[in-house]
Amino acid sequence: MLTRVPQPPVNPALRDLERHDFWPGFIAALIGGVLVFCGAQHLTGVDTVEGNTAWETQLMRAFSVGGLQYADQMAPPASPKPDNAAAGALDHWARQDANAAPLTWKVRVDTGAKKACPT
Amino acid sequence: MECQVPECKQRQPTELGRKLSRLRPWVQSGFLGVWLAPLGQWLHGIPGCVFHCYSCPLSSFGCPVGIAANYAALLPVTLEVPYMLLGVLVFTGALGGSIVCGWACPFGFLQDLLGRITTRKVALPGWAGHSRYAVLVGLVMLLPLVLGFKGIPFEEQVVSICRLCPAGALEAGVPYSLESLLAGKGWLMSGCKTGILVAFFASTLFIHRPWCRIFCPLGGLLSLFNRFSLFHLRFNPKECVECNLCRSRCQMGVKVDQRVNVSGCIRCLECATCGALEPCFAFPKDTSTPPPPKAPPDSASPTIPSIS
Repeated sequence: MLTRVPQPPVNPALRDLERHDFWPGFIAALIGGVLVFCGAQHLTGVDTVEGNTAWETQLMRAFSVGGLQYADQMAPPASPKPDNAAAGALDHWARQDANAAPLTWKVRVDTGAKKACPT
Repeated sequence: MECQVPECKQRQPTELGRKLSRLRPWVQSGFLGVWLAPLGQWLHGIPGCVFHCYSCPLSSFGCPVGIAANYAALLPVTLEVPYMLLGVLVFTGALGGSIVCGWACPFGFLQDLLGRITTRKVALPGWAGHSRYAVLVGLVMLLPLVLGFKGIPFEEQVVSICRLCPAGALEAGVPYSLESLLAGKGWLMSGCKTGILVAFFASTLFIHRPWCRIFCPLGGLLSLFNRFSLFHLRFNPKECVECNLCRSRCQMGVKVDQRVNVSGCIRCLECATCGALEPCFAFPKDTSTPPPPKAPPDSASPTIPSIS
């Protein structure tokens, strides 16, 4: 049973018709469509783990699958175990580590990530 | 309290209104097939236009709110503009305003179903809807941005919209927690989020669509388009008999008798049952409303006779 809500007297003749014009909504819809198209073609400034540049859709997908990697959270490469047989390898690693360029990226997209969002 | 309208006629809903009212749950059910990955196609790289957690095992599209918050958290690291997200929201809003809230949103549909439980519902004050914008600006945009400047990635932010979201708690937290429970690893979801979910369910017993009315940032944003969207509700004064059926049918507390295309409306079209409010689509040459009468010629200005 519908309960009638009391309302103050209204004069229908004086009330605004609330008729919307076509052009404001149409122009806004057009802008939205253009933005969607631009977004679909947009290459972000974020790299992927493969070395490519991530598309905007790849970046958005990474949000939901924990696919963002941050440079300051990347662990340094593990050093090899020191023993006589691996002395050469240890020396090679030391030289390689010293010559390694600092990471050029702050964040990158792991396109193969599939873990559930932890939030 | 008696109706103050002098002649409050007991008008019955129109046939169109009845049809729309019966059709809406079916349309909402149909849209579940869109949002819940019917073909196993996960399109999380494309933002949806409804409130549905992208962590849900069945979600098709990305949650626009979560995506926006992630972008805000990413801003201190890299300046990226979410063109597609903005485009989807602007396009959806410009076409229909908040009609997706009333006819497509799965979380809104859930609240509609829970709202059918016959308990006494509390009428919220009109200003209650403003808190949606506080959530939008504060929780979705500013908080991730501030914590992002502190070097905290969005996933690690202790307080965020996603960690407080009841939709995420229900659609993602519960399935994963049940899976974890069955695997003997205990309840995965935090106590806080579980409590929020319980509070949400309890609130639906006393408030119609509590999330939509008080907290939903997406609904708040889309409803800003209600004032000029192409789809809108038009008032026909010839059909109005001041029966207050429109305001009585509205479950969102909108003062429909005064103005209907406002930010609190979810365009469920329940008010259109009275017949005076007509769902319309704006077209370039809309001739449904007669043009205003031309002003009579000014008697002070001389008339120039035509030369034949």
